[in-house]
Amino acid sequence: MKDYKRYIIAVSLLTVSFLYIFTSNETGVARIFVNLLTFAGIYGLAAIGINVHFGWTGLLNFGHAAFMGIGAYTTILLIPHALGREGVVIETGLPLPLAVIIGMLAAALLGLILGLPTLRLRGDYLAIVTIAAAEIFRLLIRDFEDITGGVYGVIQFSEALQSLRPNFITNLATSIEVSSSQLWVGVITWILIIFTLLFLNRLQKSPWGRALRAVREDEDAVRALGKNAVWLKLQSFMLGASIGGLSGILLAFNYGTLQVSTFVPVLTFYLWAALILGGVGSLAGPALGAVIFWVIISGTDSLAEIFFENANGQQLAGVRFVFVGLLIMFTMIFTPSGILGKKEELLLDIK
Amino acid sequence: MTSNKLLSVSSLKKSFGGLQAVNVDSLEFSENEITSLIGPNGAGKTTFFDLLTKFQNPDQGNIFFEGENVTSFQSYKLARLGMTRTFQLTRVFEKMSVLENMQFSGSSVKNESISRSLIKGKSLNNFEKELEIEVDKILELLNLSHMKYSYARELSGGQKKLLELGRALIRKPKLLLLDEPLAGVNPKLAEEILDIIKNLSIEGINIIMVEHNINAVMKISERVVVMAEGKIIADGEPEAIRNNENVIEAYLGKVNE
Amino acid sequence: MIEQLGNGLLLGLIVAIASVSLSLLYGVTRIVNFAHGEIIALGAVLTLFFSSSPESSFLYLDRFSPLGSSFIVSSIASILLCGLFGALLELCLFRPLRKNNYGNVAVLVITIGLSIFLRHIFLLFASAKPASYALDLQKREDYFGIQLTPRNVQVLIIGSVVMILVGLFLTYTKTGRAMRAVRDSSELASVSGINSDYIITLTWIFSSMLAGFTGIIQGVINNVRWNMGFLILLLIFAGSILGGIGTSFGAMFGGFIIGMLVQLSVGLSFMDGHTEAKNAIALALMILILLIRPQGIFGSKERIS
Repeated sequence: MKDYKRYIIAVSLLTVSFLYIFTSNETGVARIFVNLLTFAGIYGLAAIGINVHFGWTGLLNFGHAAFMGIGAYTTILLIPHALGREGVVIETGLPLPLAVIIGMLAAALLGLILGLPTLRLRGDYLAIVTIAAAEIFRLLIRDFEDITGGVYGVIQFSEALQSLRPNFITNLATSIEVSSSQLWVGVITWILIIFTLLFLNRLQKSPWGRALRAVREDEDAVRALGKNAVWLKLQSFMLGASIGGLSGILLAFNYGTLQVSTFVPVLTFYLWAALILGGVGSLAGPALGAVIFWVIISGTDSLAEIFFENANGQQLAGVRFVFVGLLIMFTMIFTPSGILGKKEELLLDIK
Repeated sequence: MTSNKLLSVSSLKKSFGGLQAVNVDSLEFSENEITSLIGPNGAGKTTFFDLLTKFQNPDQGNIFFEGENVTSFQSYKLARLGMTRTFQLTRVFEKMSVLENMQFSGSSVKNESISRSLIKGKSLNNFEKELEIEVDKILELLNLSHMKYSYARELSGGQKKLLELGRALIRKPKLLLLDEPLAGVNPKLAEEILDIIKNLSIEGINIIMVEHNINAVMKISERVVVMAEGKIIADGEPEAIRNNENVIEAYLGKVNE
Repeated sequence: MIEQLGNGLLLGLIVAIASVSLSLLYGVTRIVNFAHGEIIALGAVLTLFFSSSPESSFLYLDRFSPLGSSFIVSSIASILLCGLFGALLELCLFRPLRKNNYGNVAVLVITIGLSIFLRHIFLLFASAKPASYALDLQKREDYFGIQLTPRNVQVLIIGSVVMILVGLFLTYTKTGRAMRAVRDSSELASVSGINSDYIITLTWIFSSMLAGFTGIIQGVINNVRWNMGFLILLLIFAGSILGGIGTSFGAMFGGFIIGMLVQLSVGLSFMDGHTEAKNAIALALMILILLIRPQGIFGSKERIS
């Protein structure tokens, strides 16, 4: 498929998606729109992290929720917040930008810890270890309530970000009747996506990016040419993990509370669905995939209503994930290069 | 034990299950020669290559490169010392262009660091430009210039062998280990590859190769080492090997075919 | 710690059988099947559906009411259906993928999609809350100092017998030997006249039946939950890695150790008030094993890189 054809398909899919949203909601379209684009942006950013792992380097990371979670918990616990069952208020903290950087570094560090034992081994081991790490992370956060707030979570931390909100955002939010804090998170998210993509674009075309692609194809040949394949994989793993950490921080600010239930292992599969849909290996694919994915997902809610009268939360989630599973399977089987991926560079025959 | 020779091994052993794949007491390779490693199928030649380049770990024994004990080195470290190998089944990066294959091989580890790649200063750009000039020279030598921008997967089997050779050459190796450089290559191209190998040797690159094409081996080698069942059964000049009884026995007369 | 020994034996047995079934499937097909946990859950859910009384209300959809058959009949029917399901997966999904040369990574991602799909089908159609089989409640009694219910003892005996039968099957029957031959080298096997498509299908059936059986006994000992497959899958992976991926005996041993460890860790003093974290210990041990002896206890080095 020619490049321009892929973009035509992408633009038409986006148009249809947005038309669907406008026609299926009579009131509060702006609110739904901002909500959707904010979530899609955050998931897109997280999926970009997985793309660095899988699309660029061929690494199977099924525990991205852990990277997102560790970024979020590290950052939020370093800024003023209230914690746990009693809501213990902690008023002192680091400035937000510093806390964000430490959060991203913490995610990269987790990447290092998980990568060291597994990146020497065959690819499936990384898949198993990352999926286990996400479960360990969830169990530990739940269990160590004194530090993490346990199942009661962390609250009252949004001020650190919302106090930076410029007036025109507040005014815009008021005029189109949307939540000003969510609009602010959404705007920041998409700005960060653009910066991340520019940054990654530069890297992809550099000797480093070239080396990663070589690793993705044939590690033995890379070794024979005097390059340390494990170190290259480790760097890629840490980079993608820190992008995941950043998206986790944004997700926490978008919810306004930090809950362990946000970073459950299945979150990762949302991201994989978005990534595969958008196109593995392509730069903008994950972000595009995330937007279309969210439209599909919001469509499944009305589908759930057909099967269940007054569907409860669990049933809605059930129907959503049935679709997520089908989406991953069918895209991988029938159009494995997704919407924007290059068929020529597809990973299908990787070991 | 140390040695001033280019590459030497002592009591190198490797077995799989009960099978002794490699059992070499002592072997030395000197500078400025083309050495061929021959032997019947399953003689342990490729395993021996894998041990020399540390793609497999020996059960026991030592490997010395330029007098240094490199037995504990990882494969990529050995390659950095100037030992570059090719593979029996060609391993080019199929989803990268011929140019990128060569550039990747030729670029220094320093230039591939993430920070340098990100800042991408003038010096990096200059390096990449110089590298491309170097690539062009080698592609010219290998008759691959017309395929420079093609995906490596579009190359014929023989061209892939050439690209793999080129990818090794751009690293300016001291020692080149070629695993069946002529396998699956048409006779005309085989002649070309042999000429290239010979020229490389004249230019001072040391070559060890595994090859089944006995005529080619006899033609260009200065020394032939014969392996059978993991052991060295003969070692000498091509003429002497041709008449060695052990070798004839191991091959069941194949040499004289 | 001793009071956990009975639970440890039971979980050890479950993880051991499940690990053997996953390891055999992996060995023969080279598929890391992330949906294996869902086949385990399928066995448990089907048995629940067949054996519960028609009045019980754990199903969301009123259109389906449980059948109320006897537990033994329900179990056997469920195991057979699991085998059928495995055959269908092979014939309708994995064989076409294999024939079209889909790589290992693509197939792995597809099994992930399959597992999410199946798991949430269970959530929608079966119990969102933990459900139990319609079996009478039993008290724990003392067996050689170990606290177990009589039914637990039956499960231990039946499970051990199944495990021994599996071992005998793989060692002495023609089919079992053929499976091992394909596992060790599919090329070699095809040279010696073994039809690997046929053997792979048989492996899917056999492995899925074994998985279904594991699900049923897991349901007897604990309860039936829609997501029971996911957690046990992680323990299976931990067990297989500990024992050494690709060896049936190693998987059995590793699985047993992991299951025991998870239960026994509850009794450790530093675990006081942290019972949730017991699974984390097994998973952390798995990561540690990969760091120091990645081929596992019984595995060979060549299989891992």
